[in-house]
Amino acid sequence: MKVLPTTCPSCSNQLNVKSLICESCQTEIQGQYELPLLSRLSFHDQDFIIEFIKASGSLKEMARLLGLSYPTVRNRLDEIIEHIKPAEKSRKEKKA
Amino acid sequence: MTEATVNSNRLAQWLFNPFKFIAGFKALLLGLSIILISGFVGSFGNTHFDGVLDVHTGLEAPMWFFLAEGAINWICMAIPLFFFGLIVSRSSLRIIDVLGTQAMARWPYLITAVVMLPDANRRVAEYLMSTLTQNNPTAAIAPIDVSIFVFAMIVVLLMVIWMVALMYQAYAVSCNIKGAAAIATFIVSLIGAEILSKIVILLIL
Repeated sequence: MKVLPTTCPSCSNQLNVKSLICESCQTEIQGQYELPLLSRLSFHDQDFIIEFIKASGSLKEMARLLGLSYPTVRNRLDEIIEHIKPAEKSRKEKKA
Repeated sequence: MTEATVNSNRLAQWLFNPFKFIAGFKALLLGLSIILISGFVGSFGNTHFDGVLDVHTGLEAPMWFFLAEGAINWICMAIPLFFFGLIVSRSSLRIIDVLGTQAMARWPYLITAVVMLPDANRRVAEYLMSTLTQNNPTAAIAPIDVSIFVFAMIVVLLMVIWMVALMYQAYAVSCNIKGAAAIATFIVSLIGAEILSKIVILLIL
C-alpha cells in the first residue's frame, strides 16, 4: 500500500493537494487544497485515532484492547495532540 | 522484524519497562505484595531496606519493622515524584499510576532479600565491622562465607541499578515526562526521598 506523502521531501514543508480525480469517469479537478488535519498525521497516529473512536473515546477500553497500561495509552494520545497543535495553529493563522 | 526480535524486544520491555503494560490498581496490588513479601523474606536474614536505596544486614527487629521500612521507602519516593509530575507534566496524572508503578519498581529488592538470606552475609558483615572498629577482629569467617558475601554484593549492586532504572521508567510513564526535566526532577526526588526515608525510619526505630 502506498503511503500518502504529507511533507515535501525537498524542504520538509507541508504538501498541498493539487488535483483530485474520479476513478469512475476520470473527471479531474485541479486547484490547491490543504490536506485535512488528520491526513497530515502518520499512519500509526491515524490508526490510533480510529481505534480510539471505535473504543468510544475510552482510554481504559483502548488500554484493554491494545494490551497496554492506561498511562501508556494516555501518553500516546497526548503525543498525537502535540502533533496536531502546530498544524491546527497554522490553519487558524491562514484563515485569519 | 523477525518474531525472535519482537519477542526479545517484548522481554526487554517487561524487564526494564513493565509499566508500558501494567499500571494503576493492578500495579499497586502487585507492588504492595512485592514490598510486603520483600520485608517478610528480609526479616529472616535480618536484611533491612532502611532507606529508598539502602540494604543493610545485622540488626534484629520485629517483623512489623521490616514491613514498615518497605512501605516508608515506597511512599517517600512516590509522593515527591507525583508532585513533580503535577508541576512538569502536561498530561493529566492519576496518583494511583504513580503509587502503583513505584511500588512495582521495587521488585528487584525481593531478589535482594533472597540473596541476603544466608547467614554467611551476616558473619562477613560482622567481621568487616569488627575489623573497622577493633585491631583484632573477634568474629571468624570461612572462605565459603566470603564467596557467598561477594556473590550477594554483586547481586545487590545489580539490583540497586535495576531498581533505579525501573523507578525512573515508572516515573516517565506514569507522569509522561521525558528528557532533561525528567532526569533532573527524578534525581532531586531520589536524593530527597533517600534523606526523608532515613529520617522517618530512624524516628520509628
